[in-house]
Amino acid sequence: MESLKLNILGMARYRGREGQLSFILHRLAGLGTLLFLAIHIVDTSTVYFFPSLYEHAIEIYRSTLFMLGEIILVFCVIYHGVNGVRIAIFDLFAPERWNIETQRKTAQWSLAIAVILWLPAAYLMGRSLLVHNFGL
Amino acid sequence: MTTQTEQMRTNQLPPQEGYESWAWKWMRYSGLLLIPLAWGHVLIQDILVGVHSIDLDYVAMRWASLGWRVYDFLLLAFAFAHGVNGLRQVLNDYIRQDSTRRRVTWLLFVLWIVISLIGAAAIVGGVRVP
Repeated sequence: MESLKLNILGMARYRGREGQLSFILHRLAGLGTLLFLAIHIVDTSTVYFFPSLYEHAIEIYRSTLFMLGEIILVFCVIYHGVNGVRIAIFDLFAPERWNIETQRKTAQWSLAIAVILWLPAAYLMGRSLLVHNFGL
Repeated sequence: MTTQTEQMRTNQLPPQEGYESWAWKWMRYSGLLLIPLAWGHVLIQDILVGVHSIDLDYVAMRWASLGWRVYDFLLLAFAFAHGVNGLRQVLNDYIRQDSTRRRVTWLLFVLWIVISLIGAAAIVGGVRVP
């Protein structure tokens, strides 16, 4: 617990700018996606193990809270993907180009690309939420 | 005392090949593969179809095609392994004791096997009518 507090405090104090922020965002997005994925594998498997429970699980996903969570989840998947491609390309194909300047520039770009890709998705999912849960 | 030049020279040595460097590379290659797999899944199921159109019949219809079952199987295998190994790498940054690390690695390994098998069984078994 003490080391967790120290870590969070350290993260807040350390001024690593884009590199550090994209590192934290990448991890949070990845861990959030993994948490959902683990639950999602188990709930989908009810179609085989307990088919009558599946409709109940889907009912939960249709609630307003979960649909809002789904919009955030899609951002996590998109950001983790765009930023992951950035990391993979540099690490695998151009490791000599890792420097602070390219790190900063490409980190900004990956956030911008992720937001641009996410906006139409958020619009469609937001509209679906309004239509189904609020009768618009 | 190491000078800065010496420090830089050691940094440029290629990493020792081993399990961790293999896992490191695998995370990058599987990540690239997951772009079409995971994004395609999210685009179709979450954004275009939507959770209000998904029910047992929908899953049965989708899994009637072998292609989608293979797709879902690949997604399950790669996404979950990528995720659990990612969690292991994150936890290893915060765990300092080797014994704790080993225990956590085993725990994650068992969790990964069990949940993967549950998912795989459902994809192979398909939808059962209640």
